[in-house]
Amino acid sequence: MIHPTADRTRRPASGDPRPLVLPSFEAIDTATDLDVRFARRTGVPEVSLRLVLEAGAGGEPAELGGLAELTARLVTEGTADRDAQSMARWLDRIGAAVDASAGYAVSMISAHLLTDVLDEALDYLAAIVRSPSFPSGEVDRVRGERLDEIDRQLDDPAVVAGQALIRELYGTGLYGRPAGGTRDSVATIERDDVTRFHAERFVPGGALLIACGDVEPDRFADGIASRFAGWAGDAAPPPIPTTPTPGKSAVVLLDRPDSPQAEIRVGTVGVPYGTSDHYAIILANAILGGLFNSRINMNLREDKGWTYGARSSFRFRRGAGPFTVQTAVETPVTADAFEEILGEIDRMRTEPVGDEELLLAKNALTLSLPLQFETASQITEKTSRARIYGLGDDYWATFRGRIEAVGAEDVLEVCRTYLGRDRLLLLAVTDAQAVHADLQRLGPVDLRPA
Amino acid sequence: MSEPGSVRFPLEEHRLENGLRVILQPDRSAPLVATHVMYHVGSKDERRGRTGFAHLFEHLLFQGSEHVPREGHFKYIQDAGGTLNGTTWFDRTNYFETLPSNELDLALWLESDRMGFFKPGITREKLDNQREVVKNERRQSYENRPYGLAFETVLHHAFPEGHPYRHPTIGYMEDIDAASLEDVHEFFDLHYGPNNATLVLVGDFDPRDALARVERWFGPIPPRPIPDRPVVPSPLGRGERRRSIEDRVQVPRVYLMFHSPSFNDAGFEATDVLTFLLTDGNSSRIRKALVYERQIAAEVSSFTWPIERVGMCFVVATARPGTSADELERAVRGVLEDVRGGGIGDDEVEGALNRARRGLVGELNGFGDRADAIAHAAVLRGHPGYVNDAFPLYAGLRRDDIQSVAADVLADDRLTALHVVPEPGLEVAA
Repeated sequence: MIHPTADRTRRPASGDPRPLVLPSFEAIDTATDLDVRFARRTGVPEVSLRLVLEAGAGGEPAELGGLAELTARLVTEGTADRDAQSMARWLDRIGAAVDASAGYAVSMISAHLLTDVLDEALDYLAAIVRSPSFPSGEVDRVRGERLDEIDRQLDDPAVVAGQALIRELYGTGLYGRPAGGTRDSVATIERDDVTRFHAERFVPGGALLIACGDVEPDRFADGIASRFAGWAGDAAPPPIPTTPTPGKSAVVLLDRPDSPQAEIRVGTVGVPYGTSDHYAIILANAILGGLFNSRINMNLREDKGWTYGARSSFRFRRGAGPFTVQTAVETPVTADAFEEILGEIDRMRTEPVGDEELLLAKNALTLSLPLQFETASQITEKTSRARIYGLGDDYWATFRGRIEAVGAEDVLEVCRTYLGRDRLLLLAVTDAQAVHADLQRLGPVDLRPA
Repeated sequence: MSEPGSVRFPLEEHRLENGLRVILQPDRSAPLVATHVMYHVGSKDERRGRTGFAHLFEHLLFQGSEHVPREGHFKYIQDAGGTLNGTTWFDRTNYFETLPSNELDLALWLESDRMGFFKPGITREKLDNQREVVKNERRQSYENRPYGLAFETVLHHAFPEGHPYRHPTIGYMEDIDAASLEDVHEFFDLHYGPNNATLVLVGDFDPRDALARVERWFGPIPPRPIPDRPVVPSPLGRGERRRSIEDRVQVPRVYLMFHSPSFNDAGFEATDVLTFLLTDGNSSRIRKALVYERQIAAEVSSFTWPIERVGMCFVVATARPGTSADELERAVRGVLEDVRGGGIGDDEVEGALNRARRGLVGELNGFGDRADAIAHAAVLRGHPGYVNDAFPLYAGLRRDDIQSVAADVLADDRLTALHVVPEPGLEVAA
């Protein structure tokens, strides 16, 4: 075979791009208050389905933190007709993967299934959504499992660091504790709380059922209509958590003796979805610590070799979620790593980003859209996110244009606004004896046991 | 193209003159192309005193080559809207990227430069930097993680001294420290020839056009002698092995590993289905007995690794507070004895098969995962079409097949048992 020699000396030219066609969802009328959206996707015999309910942790009474999560976990544990093991045998024979869990904003029941079991899977989903019976023995069992799980997670220093950071930033506010609650709050939840929360919040008003897969739209519509007809009720979104004033900068050291690494976090109160500078924030984060090629990762990993990886994120929520830099570094360089991270943030705040760097971040965020909408499960996740956070149905369609419109001065401005040094909290979980003295150069150290 | 519950992906197989195996799986459903290069080398090919080297070497292949600058892989791929990564395991090392389909040449340029022009780009500075990164990967993912050293401890006791599967892919610290630039050159020459590699493309391309491009980028790379494969003695016949280690955890966890059919052996699929029957779903055997009824386990899981020359089937259980590792192990093994003893029912096999089938589809729905599965089947089994054959193979399994592997595999003399118990003072009471 003849092959003309390739020119290796430069990046090969791109071909003509194929336009991105975002999946188009059609609305399905089910004679309920439930908003149902369906997009067909052929090729693989699967369906991804998500039921989004206004039943997140934000709707719990504050003293019952974890009620939403416990309720979500309990809907599968029995109905009027079937006990927990009968429900389990039913689902396990169908073979669908079903997950019910609660976040701060909503609860979500997600299912991944093969098309040939769609009808049975819809029967199962209708049963757990509409008629769970919450047997008291199962409530006791699942609450006990949750309490053990909450304890067990704290074996992981990364979890300890993450939970300590949000406690420092948000105190007793909703975002100050895990969406699934704390040991103290979960321990007080009774069956009556669960049944009430379900009755009030597992309702079609305000909910969204979104599905994507290899099914005839009519078959899907009939399947949903016959199982959810007559379902009624309304749940308003709970109040949006207020944004705390960022506290003063502090250094918190949680002692975990003999740790080979330090789990470190730099954080502050960030912003909600829907601000006018939303897209500039996304770009600023991508350049600072969102991409592999970001400044923080390049510095700490590829230049210094101190870590396996470092990244930053703005958690957009209905309210202002945290901004966090997170990494795990070898223990002796803990203070140095903080200084490098603060230095990178400082540079973002004082110098405009370069044209090439900005263009790379824009490309990474926008040319990757086909990849972010590849599988049925990704499509339902992205699309439901736009609904949960009220981003508008055109959020993804307009995303590219809005990212492209951001300039270097916009990036500079958001970094000045949100990432001031005086509001950044520094937190490390590691061997205090090894790092305590070093950390003093960053400010007074608040030392506690992990 | 799909019929209920089954999938068939059309595959084209080619071999370049230099021995590079090329597998094309056109799928125009999304404007993307997944490029996947899998080399038939992994941690089992490492020489004594150099554990972790295959993985460290993988890191170096992201540090540029003769025509690609350092960090160029990440920069170019992210700039084009793609994703990329590489992984190392016992038997293979892979490098892959998914890109918009108009960037196929970019992927082929980067991957062929890696394969044909790596050595001029490597320096001691890059090696030392990535050595530190990998040591921090070991600290982060294994040493500073609860139960993080469990798997490498199981391997160490399940296989005899000198066995190729005895050490973990991440390697031991002192061996990572010992790796030299000479090792890097030698390893590349030995294992990274085109005839020791498989290239898979999945996605939006015309097969003829794609093959011509592959030929243009990879065709000129000369073949090299195929390395000797390591001798892999059977791990059977050594009797039950056991070990207990302490960790910074609050409750004990028990790892039971049974030597089982390898990815190439008859019985692999039946063993896979058996693991679904044991722990996948709240009605599965062990979960029902230990998590639901007796409430002595917090979590249970079971899986069999698709490895080339040996098989490892794991059953893992984490205790609820107040249950000792010994009690937990006795309870798990009690269930396993029931299963071995002939108690498997048709209905639980049907469910386990349905769950396994759904799992298979979930591993093939995205282009990148599908390319990985095809490459894995090609490199480890010599048969890329296994991704399609797997569906009828699984669907054809009957109760007797599962019963029979359960009786064979879950035998005491195939077992390595590890207890990970809380360090003194950390255990929580019930």
